[in-house]
Amino acid sequence: MSEKGETILEAKEIFKAFSGVPVLQGVHFDVRKGEVHALMGENGAGKSTLIKIITGVYSKDRGSIFWEGKEVEINSYKDCQRLGIACIYQELSVIPPLTVAQNVYLGREPKKGGLIDYKKMNEMTAELIARYDFPLKPETIVANLGIGQRQLIEILKGLSCNSRLLIMDEPTASLSGKEAESLFSIINTLRKNGVSIIYISHRLEEVYRLADRLTVLRDGKNAAVLDQADIQPLRVIELMIGKTVDESAGSSKQMRVSKNEVRLDVRGLTDETGRFRDISFTAHKGEILGFGGLIGAGRTELVRAIYGIDKFKSGEVYLDGKKLNPSPKRSIKAGFGFVPEDRRQQGFIPLLSIEKNVALTNYDIVKRNGAAISDASELAMCKEAIKKIDIRPADPEKAVGLLSGGNQQKVVLGKWLMRDLKVLIIDEPTAGIDVGAKNEIYELLESLAKQGVTVLLVSSDLQELIRVSHRILVMRKGSIVKEFDKETVTQAMVLAAAQGLEESKEAAS
Amino acid sequence: MKKKIQWGKFSKPMILVAFVIILTILRPDSFPTLGNISNVLWSVSVYGIMVCGTIFVFLVGGIDLSIGSLCGLSAVVIVKTIHAFGDTEGGVAAGIMAALLVGALAGVIHGFVITKFKVPAFLVTFATSSIFLGLSMVLTNNKIISCLGPDLFTAIGMMKILGFPIPIYVMLIIAIVSWFVLRKTPFGRYMYAIGGNPAAARLSGINDTGLTFLAYIFSGISTALGGIVLASMTQQCMASTGSGYETEVITAAVIGGVSLLGGEGTVPGAIFGAVIIGLLNNGLNLMSVPSTEHGLVKGIVIIAAVAFDALQHQDQAKKGFSFFSFGKSKKTA
Amino acid sequence: MKQTTVRHLISLGMLLVLIVMFSILSPYFLSPDNLLEVARDASVVGIIGVGVTYVIITAGIDLSTGSAMALVGMTMANIYAYTVWPIWIMLVFGILVGLLAGLFNGFVVARLHLPEFIATLATMGIYRALTYAIAIRDAGGVIQSQAMTDSGFTALGGAAGPVYLVTIALIAAIVIGQIVLKYTRFGTNLYAVGASQKAAALSGINIAKVRILAYVVTGFCVAVGAIFTTARLQSTTALLGDGFEFDPIAAAVVGGVALSGGSGDIVGTLIGALFMAALDNGVLKLHMNTAYQYIIKGIILILVVMFDAWYKGRMEKAAQEKGVKEAAAENE
Repeated sequence: MSEKGETILEAKEIFKAFSGVPVLQGVHFDVRKGEVHALMGENGAGKSTLIKIITGVYSKDRGSIFWEGKEVEINSYKDCQRLGIACIYQELSVIPPLTVAQNVYLGREPKKGGLIDYKKMNEMTAELIARYDFPLKPETIVANLGIGQRQLIEILKGLSCNSRLLIMDEPTASLSGKEAESLFSIINTLRKNGVSIIYISHRLEEVYRLADRLTVLRDGKNAAVLDQADIQPLRVIELMIGKTVDESAGSSKQMRVSKNEVRLDVRGLTDETGRFRDISFTAHKGEILGFGGLIGAGRTELVRAIYGIDKFKSGEVYLDGKKLNPSPKRSIKAGFGFVPEDRRQQGFIPLLSIEKNVALTNYDIVKRNGAAISDASELAMCKEAIKKIDIRPADPEKAVGLLSGGNQQKVVLGKWLMRDLKVLIIDEPTAGIDVGAKNEIYELLESLAKQGVTVLLVSSDLQELIRVSHRILVMRKGSIVKEFDKETVTQAMVLAAAQGLEESKEAAS
Repeated sequence: MKKKIQWGKFSKPMILVAFVIILTILRPDSFPTLGNISNVLWSVSVYGIMVCGTIFVFLVGGIDLSIGSLCGLSAVVIVKTIHAFGDTEGGVAAGIMAALLVGALAGVIHGFVITKFKVPAFLVTFATSSIFLGLSMVLTNNKIISCLGPDLFTAIGMMKILGFPIPIYVMLIIAIVSWFVLRKTPFGRYMYAIGGNPAAARLSGINDTGLTFLAYIFSGISTALGGIVLASMTQQCMASTGSGYETEVITAAVIGGVSLLGGEGTVPGAIFGAVIIGLLNNGLNLMSVPSTEHGLVKGIVIIAAVAFDALQHQDQAKKGFSFFSFGKSKKTA
Repeated sequence: MKQTTVRHLISLGMLLVLIVMFSILSPYFLSPDNLLEVARDASVVGIIGVGVTYVIITAGIDLSTGSAMALVGMTMANIYAYTVWPIWIMLVFGILVGLLAGLFNGFVVARLHLPEFIATLATMGIYRALTYAIAIRDAGGVIQSQAMTDSGFTALGGAAGPVYLVTIALIAAIVIGQIVLKYTRFGTNLYAVGASQKAAALSGINIAKVRILAYVVTGFCVAVGAIFTTARLQSTTALLGDGFEFDPIAAAVVGGVALSGGSGDIVGTLIGALFMAALDNGVLKLHMNTAYQYIIKGIILILVVMFDAWYKGRMEKAAQEKGVKEAAAENE
C-alpha cells in the first residue's frame, strides 16, 4: 500500500500532435497520493489534451504513464475505472429524474433476488456521504438540486468506485460563491482521506488556496512545477505567459487610436440573472474595444444583451446618440453585426451554400426584380465576400458545413462585411482556427476599424486581445474591473486584473 | 478545378423515365392509355397541391400528421356549405372560402400550440388529426354525402382544359407560387435557415417563431385546397375522405429529397415525389396489388429515405465537429 | 417523489371530475356493471400503455401499436383457420409477431436513427399492409372477418367471477410494469436514456439496447392486448385496432408521462387509461355520436400537453428566480 506522499500517477515525456501540429512536447506530470495538484496554462497550452491522454480519450504519440510505479496503458473509460481514476466533467452526467443514490450507483446497482436493493443502495450512499461529509441525502431527486450539489454527486460517483484520483476540470465554472466554498471544504476532506486530485482551473485564487503543487504548461511544455510555498500569483502569471512574449508585436504597428466621436454608449447595463451588473462604457468610431476576463466573467452575456439576443433588466444602449431597444432585427438595421462564440451551434446554416449564408442578413440590400431576389446580385455579393476575405474553396455553391473552421468563420464574418456596418461584435473569433486564417481575421478587423467600424472583441486569447484591441476592458464576476490602453498594457496586467489581483501595475514593470 | 458532370442533377428525371418505361413494359395494355395517364395526373395533382404547402412545415423542421383528416374535413366543409346554399354557384364560392378558412384556422391552432408552448409538432398534429376526424364524422353523421352539382363545383375536379384536368393547373399554379416564395424571396430563404440552424437564424434577425407559425398556416391552406379538389373529383365527401394522405404526402416529400430533419428540399423535388407516388400507386394497382397493401412499399420507402438522410446529416456534423474541436485544418495557401 | 405525486393527483382529479360529470348526466354510469365495463375497456389500453409508457420515458413514441395489434390478430387467425395446432401455439405465434414488430421498430429508431414518430408512422403503414396481405379471403378474394370461436380461446375474453380476465391481466401488467420500472436496472436505464442520452452514455449505458428493448416490451404488450381483444370479439378483421394507437399515448400523457422523456410511471398511465375508458363509456351511455370521442380526446390531449409545458416552464422559472435571489443574497 502506498503511503501519503508517494507518487500515484506519473506521466513521462508525453508527446502528442494533431495532424502534424505539436500540442504536447515532452510534458512531465506527476501526482502524489493525497495531494491536490493544480494544472494551469493559457488556452491552447495543452492542459485538456494532457488530461484526455491520461483518461484514455486520446492516445499519446510517445511517452509513458505509470500508475503506482507500474507502467500502464489507458485506452478507455473502463481502464480508468479499473485503476481508480475518475473524471468530473464540466458537462455533468447526472440524470435529473433519479435520486442521488440511483445516480451514484447507476449501472452498478446492488441487487437482491434480481431486483434493485434500494435499502442497501441508500445505506451505501449514506455511508459515503457521511464519510466525506457531503451536504446530500441519498433519496433526494436530483432535479430538485442545484448545480453545485449535482457536481458533488459526480464526485460521489467517482468515490463509490474506490477512485483514488479525481480529475476536476474547471469545477467552479458554474458554481455560486457559496457552492464553491462548500466544494473547497470537500476537496480538503478528500485530501485528508488520501484521495488525490488533479485540479484544472483558470482561477489563480482557487489554485492558491487549494493546491499542494502546481504544474504550469505553456505551449505544450512544462513551464514549471511549483510547491505550495512557491505558488505566488504574479510568478504563476509570468510562467503562464512566458518571459519571451513578443510584446512589441502588437504595438509596433502604429495604429491611430481613434479619438473620434463616440459611437456606442452603454450605460448601467444589468441583466436579470446577475451575470453582468451595472456595465457602462463607450466605444468610439474606428475603435477596436477588447473585452478580457476569465471564462464565466459575463463577457459573452454582455455582448449578447447589447446585440439584443438576451433581454437585460436595466440600463441603456445608445448608438450615435440614439437610444436603442435591442433585438437582433433592430440591431442589424441600426448597423450592428454579430459573430457568435459558438460558430457551429449559432454561426451559420451548415446545409446552405456560402452564397445563401452570406446573403442571409442582407436581403434588404440584395437587388430585386420585382418581388424576386436577383440571383445575379446575390451571386455578385457572395463573390465579393469570397474575394474580400479569401474564402476557400471559392465556390459559392459549396455548403458551409463542409468548409474548414477558418473558412466557416470567414463566411460568418463575411455576411456582415457586405453591409454598411457601424458596430461589429465578435466573440472568440479565432477559437479552433489555424494560424493562417487567424492572421487574416486580425487584418480584417484592423481594416474594418480603419474604415470607421467600431469593433467589440471578446477574446480569451491574451495575445490576440492585446494585438488587435486599441483599448481593453477587463471583466471579472460580471463587472468591468479595469481599463487598459494599448500602449501600456501587457498580458500579465490583463490576466492579473481578470484574476482580481490588485498588484497588476507592478507586474508590468 | 474542372467541373464534374453532376449526375445527381439528372437522377430524378432518369428515375421518372425509368418508372414510366418499366410500367409500360409490364402493363403495355393498361398503363400507357390516355385514361390511365389522366388518372395518374389526377391523383398526382392532389398530392402535389398538398405537398407544396406542407413543404414549408418540413423545411422549418416540423411535421403535420393531420394532413389526411384536415383534407377530409375541408372536403366535408365545402360540400356541406354548397348544400347549405342550395347547390348554387355562390355556394361553391362560399364553400371554397369556408374550406380554406378551416385549413388556415387549423394552421393557426397548430402554429400557436407548437410555437408558444414548445410542444412537439407530431403530438399536436396527431391530436388535432383526431379532432378533425371527429368533426368530419359529426358533420357527415358518418354517411357519404354526394354533391353532383352545380357545374362550377364539378368543374374544379373534372373539367379539362387543353386535355388536362383543372387540378393539374391548380397544382402548377400553387407549385409556382410556392417555388417562387421559397426560391426567390427572403422569406423562403429564412425558412431554410430556420430548419437548418434555428439559433443562427435567430442571431441573423430572423423571427423564427413567427415564420414557423406561418409555415403551419400554409400547410393548412394547401391541405384544404387538396380537400376541395378531392371533393370535386369524387363528387362526394365522407369522414374518411383523405384518410392516410399524411403518409402519401410525407412519402412524396422524402422521395423528392425534402429532409424531415428540416432545412433541405425544393418544390420541384416535392412535385417529383408526388409524381412518383402517383405512378407508384398506379403501378401497384395495375399489378393488382390492392391499395390496402401499398403501405408496405411506402413504409419501406420512408424508412430508407429518412435513414439515408439521417446518415448524411450525421456525416456532415461529424466532419464539421472534427474541424471545430481540434482546430486542425489544412493550409489553404 | 413529490412532483410525481402532485401530477398523479392532477390526473386523478381529472378522472374524478369526469366520473362525477357522467354520473350526474347518466344515473346508470356508476352502477357496478358499468364500472366493471369501464375497467374492461381500460384494460387493453392500459396493458399496451405499459409498453408505450416505457417508450415515452425514453423520449420516444410508438404510433404503430394499432396496426401491430391487427397484425398479431391476423397471424393468429391464419393459424386458427389453416392449422390444427392447439390454441397455445397460436398464442405463442401471436406473441412472437408482437415481439418482432417491436424489435423492428426499435431497430429503425435506434440503429437507423430515424425520428421516432416518422419511424413508427412508417411501420404503422407496413404492419397494416402486412395484415391485409395475410388477411383471410373468401373464394372471390374478398377479405373476410375470421371467426375464432374455440371455447378455450374465447374464455380469455370472459370473466372470472365479476371481473373480466383482461382486467386481471391489466392488474398483473401494471404491477409487473411498475416493478420493472422502479426496481430493475432496465427501468432505471429507461429514465436515464430519456433524461439525457449523453449523460447515460457517460455512465456506460448501452443506449441503443435500452431503446430497442423498450419497443420490444411494447410489442409484447401489444400482442397481449391483441389476444384479449380478439378473444372478446371472437374474431378478427384487417381493420382491428384502426386508430387505436391514439389511446395508449393519450393515456400516458394524461397520466403525466412527459413526452420529453425521463419522467412518468405506470401508475399514471393506469389513471390515464381509466380516464380514456370512462370518457368513451360516458359518451356512449349518453347516446352521443361516437365522433365526439375523437374530438374530446384530441382536445384533452392538446390541453394536457399544453398544461404540462406551461407547468414545466413555470417550475423552471421559479428555480431560476430562486437562483438569482441566492446570488443576490451572496452579493450583499
